Amino acid sequence: MIEVRNLERRFGAVVAVDGVSFSAADGCITGLLGPNGAGKTTTLRTLYGLLRPDAGAVAVDGIDAVADPLGVQRRIGVLPDAHGLYVRLTVREHLRYVGELHGLDTATIAASIDSLVARLDMGEIIDRRVEGFSTGERMKVAVGRALVHDPPNLLLDEPTRGLDVMSTRAMRDLIRQLRADGKCVLFSSHVMQEVSALCDEIVIVARGRAVARGTPDELCRRAGEEDLEDAFVRIIGSDEGLQ
Amino acid sequence: MSARQLGFGGQVRAVWRKEILDALRDRRSLLSALLYPILMPLMIAVVFGAVAQLEGSERPLETPIVGRDRAPNLVAWLEERGVVVLDPPADPDAAVRDGEVDLVLVIDEDYGEQFRSVEPAVVRIVHDSSRTASLSSIRRTRNLLRAYSSEVALLRLLARGVSPGVMQAVRVDDLDLATPAQTAARFFSMLPMLLILGSFVGGLNVAIDTTAGERERQSLEPLLVNPVSRTALTAGKWLTTCVFSLASAWLTLAAFLVMLPFVPLEQLGMQLSLDGPQLLLMAAAFAPMALFASSLQMFVATFARSFKEAQTYVNLLIFVPMIPGMVAQVYPLQPAGWMMLVPALSHQLLLIDVMGGEPVAAANLAVSAVATAAFGCLFFALTSRMLRQERIVFGRG
Repeated sequence: MIEVRNLERRFGAVVAVDGVSFSAADGCITGLLGPNGAGKTTTLRTLYGLLRPDAGAVAVDGIDAVADPLGVQRRIGVLPDAHGLYVRLTVREHLRYVGELHGLDTATIAASIDSLVARLDMGEIIDRRVEGFSTGERMKVAVGRALVHDPPNLLLDEPTRGLDVMSTRAMRDLIRQLRADGKCVLFSSHVMQEVSALCDEIVIVARGRAVARGTPDELCRRAGEEDLEDAFVRIIGSDEGLQ
Repeated sequence: MSARQLGFGGQVRAVWRKEILDALRDRRSLLSALLYPILMPLMIAVVFGAVAQLEGSERPLETPIVGRDRAPNLVAWLEERGVVVLDPPADPDAAVRDGEVDLVLVIDEDYGEQFRSVEPAVVRIVHDSSRTASLSSIRRTRNLLRAYSSEVALLRLLARGVSPGVMQAVRVDDLDLATPAQTAARFFSMLPMLLILGSFVGGLNVAIDTTAGERERQSLEPLLVNPVSRTALTAGKWLTTCVFSLASAWLTLAAFLVMLPFVPLEQLGMQLSLDGPQLLLMAAAFAPMALFASSLQMFVATFARSFKEAQTYVNLLIFVPMIPGMVAQVYPLQPAGWMMLVPALSHQLLLIDVMGGEPVAAANLAVSAVATAAFGCLFFALTSRMLRQERIVFGRG
């Protein structure tokens, strides 16, 4: 369960997030949809405790991210905007490191890695050093890092960025699987098809504000459009008209 | 799920294990920790060996003499003193210029005439003073000729009933109070500098890779989303850097000791005796040094905007601990109490005492260790505080 209330964050004179509110429920896929620079990454970063909000509140499972960032971090798995790897370590060593940082014992980590190898189809690469990995392989490692401690909440910043068709489909399957497991999945994207194919709930973000929210159907109905993309443009456009 | 909260020690251990593994697989980190400690003492040993050879008095003086028949007494006198008289080269000037011989002694054609009529008889040394390698031969030849000249002059005065003391208005007696051990220690003041440098070079790459490198690889953000305190994170990285720094300093010391027997110390009029306790003392003095060097380097590398910038800063940083040593070479430092508070400077002074065979004050040693470790902790605290700043984590573009 993720809650964001009236979140504000400025960088110098630039207002990145200007009063965003939404919540993401367990067993649900919630998508943050918005153009580049809308404030999606900033919102996620305040949620996982790397940026301090100027105003408003962010909480995961009722834990305040400002008051207890480590408490929040124990309950989330994150695929951050930047997800660099250690080129001299193998995939297994990457996953083990995160497991250890979360305080898991050796047996639990080993079992978790085995299950991730199956879910992410990493059998061939698990003991290879990540140097020279393809974008898809690197993404698998980064996603594995977010899942190794089996967190109840997942924050995924553009999880399909740079992936080919096959990898994108695998990623969608994985996200649906996480929902089936009862996880709270929050992901950001600027790709319409991505969001419409996956999300139970969409939060449209533009210029630092959550301008609309609802199921894909609700958003289309509200905008009077049949296609989500047209609805998206209309929603953002009408917002512009209001200012 | 079963994620129990990890204590501070467990967090540090997890970070340390990962960083050590990563650093041990990094060729650059290994090179900077291993190559320097072996190369530097080797270089010094070679230089010392060369110096010893230049100074070497055992080597017989081989001197080509032009016109040896004109001064049979002089030549016989020289040969008595171990000079090996050679036949002169066809063109003495060219031979000296080309470095074939160190020098050529030319007995003047009128030598016999001049000698008999008690005029100064002329002997010419043809040499090239720009050749360092031949300086020792030239000096020895000149001294021998001077000695022969005074001997003959003395005999002539005695023959005329004059006291030889007339010829000597002032007699200079040399009384060198420096013990051979002290001379050696001054010469070996290079060793402390080498060890201090070793501490800085050893952890250099690890310090950069775990801080500026982590950010540049974009692996800092995924690392910071884990429930680990920034202090524990910095501590794990710090310990890794310290291990490399200390290993490098100790390796330098070990390599130095291995090469010591091959340096002809006695030939240089020096002796250096290091026994077990002294060695342990030296080795121990570098534990706080490693703490200091590592956290200082990490602090600077974390502050840098990029990996390249960090490399530039940290490489420049190496020169800072060299300053006291360089100053000491030119302008001998009078040891004062406050100097024990300065990392690197205190190590320089303590180690010179240790090598000179002088007792080291336990208080000085303690002050140096505590002060150096305290500076180390200060930079550690500053580094982990910096890691809490958003502009450091996400870069300042």
